[in-house]
Amino acid sequence: MAEMTTNYWWASESFWKKMAIWITAASAVVLIFLTFDTVAKITAGGKRVPAYSVINHRIDYVFDEKRNHQVPVIGPEEPLFGRSLSESEAAELVNKGKLTVQAKNCMNCHTLLGNGAYFAPDLTKSWLDPAWGSKEVREQSMIEFLMDPSDKLHNALGRRMPKLGITEEEARATVAFLKWMSAIDTNGFPANFKPIDQADTPAEAGAQATPAAAESSPVQ
Amino acid sequence: MASLGVLDSANLNGGQKLAVKYFTVAIALFGAQVLFGLLAGLQYLYPDFLYGVLDFSVNRMLHINALVVWLLFGFIGAVYWLLEDESGVPVVGLALGNLVFWVLTLAVVVVVGIYLLVQVGPGEMKSIWLINEGREYIEAPRWADIGIVVCMLAFFYNVAATFMKGRFTGIGGVLVLDLVALAGLYTAGMWYTPNISMDQHWWWWVIHLWVEATWEVLVGCLLAYGLIKTMGVRRKIVETWLYIEVALLFGSGILGLGHHYFWIGTPEYWLAIGGFFSALEPIPLVAMVVHAVFDAGHHKLKSTNNPALAWMIAQAFGNFFGAGVWGFMHTLPQINLYTHGTQWTASHGHLAFFGAYATIVIAFVYLAVQKWRGNVWMSGELVGAWRWKWAIFLLHVGMIGMTMALLIAGYEQSQIERAIEGSGWMGYFAAQAHPWFQQGMTWRMISGWVFAAGFLLLAWDLLTIGSRESRPARRLEPQEAMAVS
Amino acid sequence: MLQPVELANFFTVFFSAALVILCGALYALLFAWSRVSRRPWLMPWAYAAYAGLAASVIVLGRAANLFDGGLWTIVIALMLVGYLLAPHGVWHLCVGTHAQGDGKDPLSQPR
Repeated sequence: MAEMTTNYWWASESFWKKMAIWITAASAVVLIFLTFDTVAKITAGGKRVPAYSVINHRIDYVFDEKRNHQVPVIGPEEPLFGRSLSESEAAELVNKGKLTVQAKNCMNCHTLLGNGAYFAPDLTKSWLDPAWGSKEVREQSMIEFLMDPSDKLHNALGRRMPKLGITEEEARATVAFLKWMSAIDTNGFPANFKPIDQADTPAEAGAQATPAAAESSPVQ
Repeated sequence: MASLGVLDSANLNGGQKLAVKYFTVAIALFGAQVLFGLLAGLQYLYPDFLYGVLDFSVNRMLHINALVVWLLFGFIGAVYWLLEDESGVPVVGLALGNLVFWVLTLAVVVVVGIYLLVQVGPGEMKSIWLINEGREYIEAPRWADIGIVVCMLAFFYNVAATFMKGRFTGIGGVLVLDLVALAGLYTAGMWYTPNISMDQHWWWWVIHLWVEATWEVLVGCLLAYGLIKTMGVRRKIVETWLYIEVALLFGSGILGLGHHYFWIGTPEYWLAIGGFFSALEPIPLVAMVVHAVFDAGHHKLKSTNNPALAWMIAQAFGNFFGAGVWGFMHTLPQINLYTHGTQWTASHGHLAFFGAYATIVIAFVYLAVQKWRGNVWMSGELVGAWRWKWAIFLLHVGMIGMTMALLIAGYEQSQIERAIEGSGWMGYFAAQAHPWFQQGMTWRMISGWVFAAGFLLLAWDLLTIGSRESRPARRLEPQEAMAVS
Repeated sequence: MLQPVELANFFTVFFSAALVILCGALYALLFAWSRVSRRPWLMPWAYAAYAGLAASVIVLGRAANLFDGGLWTIVIALMLVGYLLAPHGVWHLCVGTHAQGDGKDPLSQPR
């Protein structure tokens, strides 16, 4: 028995060297093909990631029976800060907002699309958060909050966002970025989100979610 | 050669002299990671602590950046450590290697200074270039990105050219190809886009394809070398297994990228791909278990360096629990919908980074210290062995404590914030105020102090281990361990 | 299409998913140990661990709504088969690779 020769091809160094190369290469090729498709589908202006001018419209987040989760719904025209923007103006504003989000290091407290740090709320649908009070005061509340959160009511824990030197221009751009982000189709994340009441008429409002509780609003 | 037990660079070859510089900075940065982790942890309990001075975002950024950089310094050091041994020739560009070391270290100091003193910039491109890119883990400003790529190219040149001049072993071949991928992937994270979905899509190319693919393979190379060195396992077997691991890790890991593409705007087919490859990712771990038992049955478990071997064993367990168990618990999209972006992720991240990567770098630093002191005895009955044993014990108690505390907090958060309240502002703070969360943060903090104590003991031990030994290291011929008793 | 986990099933999902990996490792460990140390009486325990794994996979599949008859059911089937066969395959690889070059079967040597 001791002299039995057992050099199996499937256990040889050269076989596994080839396997390592082929498996890696095949996985990489599949990934590259998928990447081309994915990049095309997440380019702004597509079905999943809308054009930046979507900030000219009402955005909602409604349960879709067929897909079995909530999906962003682009509603009637409802321009941000009351002014309708061209595609390039909207793109410039959202761009400024994204630069602000990066330069102010938002992701090391907040999560965006669920990625980031866990010290502050997720911002994926923050545009739609009922904590802003009402649809009418939302834009102004967000701007004031961003420019100086330190004296605004946050929560019972005493945890507050610091004042980061955000200018009014940067705050407006950040709000535009957040509104645009809320229109991205995230396959239903976050689930069971309860959007702010955005209805125009009382009849419409009846079908919508409950009004926000003012006492834990981020705005005083 | 100097006397045994004395730190003397004459004991090291050229690459190893450079390696110990990298290791020194790596351990110092490990300390910085622990320090800023403690500060950030305290801010969960005392929100006004350092508010407006060193905010959570700054501490957290330094905590995770120190992690990435100390592991990278450790990896670079470990590669320089084995380079001359593996290739059989001196490092071809040692002067360049030294220059790169000082440039990288200086850059790290400058970036840390900017993070601490400047912190944030205006919402303009110049902030991205000069201050902070604000993208988790790869916050380093763009000037530093470019510097890192140049330094990595110089490092890559040194490794590839040295192997080409000497002999190209199997370990060397895998290492060189892996470094190409590792450096190339970093460039995927350097670009600015206003589109957050696109941003996150490419960001994961760096983060996932580093930690779940190229770093794993790099560690495979280091472990392969470590097994030959500390246990005398035959090279042909080790290298065959390295190829098997590469096939399994890249086969499951590359498309495992899909489990990060569930909720960032990417198409629905990633739900299926991510779920499928996540179910495959434990297979390499099963292979490691069977192989480790097989090896243990055939080799007498004698080692030339007990602390290094202990940390390599810790790597096996840490990788298994941190990446395997903790990963699989929340990776299927049906549950990840609720755990995504909660303390679940923090729990998994802590255990997996520590278990899979911190452990192996520490093992290499122990190997380095042994040789630096003239290849001194580090097997059984080592003088002052209590220090390394208590260090590994405290670091593990602290890490497991933090992981469990974060797990409980994340479990509560996934239910109350995510599932019931639907992730709004009020739901978020309802979950943060819950006793399970609050107590979790307290226990995380206590465990953090234990971990910090373990770190201090580890640093002390690395400075002193072997200094009172006069016995030469146990000799372990290749094949000896294979001999049948 | 996904059917997200019910709130009441969260714990079951986490627990059974952890058990899948733990039982998988225990099965691999006992399987390899039984063979390497020639303790055939350990083998039934190895398969008992696999039975635990299989049960955990089924529980996980039910709690995480994977029995939809489509792709997710295939994932369940692949896990059941894959984790059963993996230790066998890896064991053969161990034997084969360690015999490389020396022309000897390490398992047939006297101990």
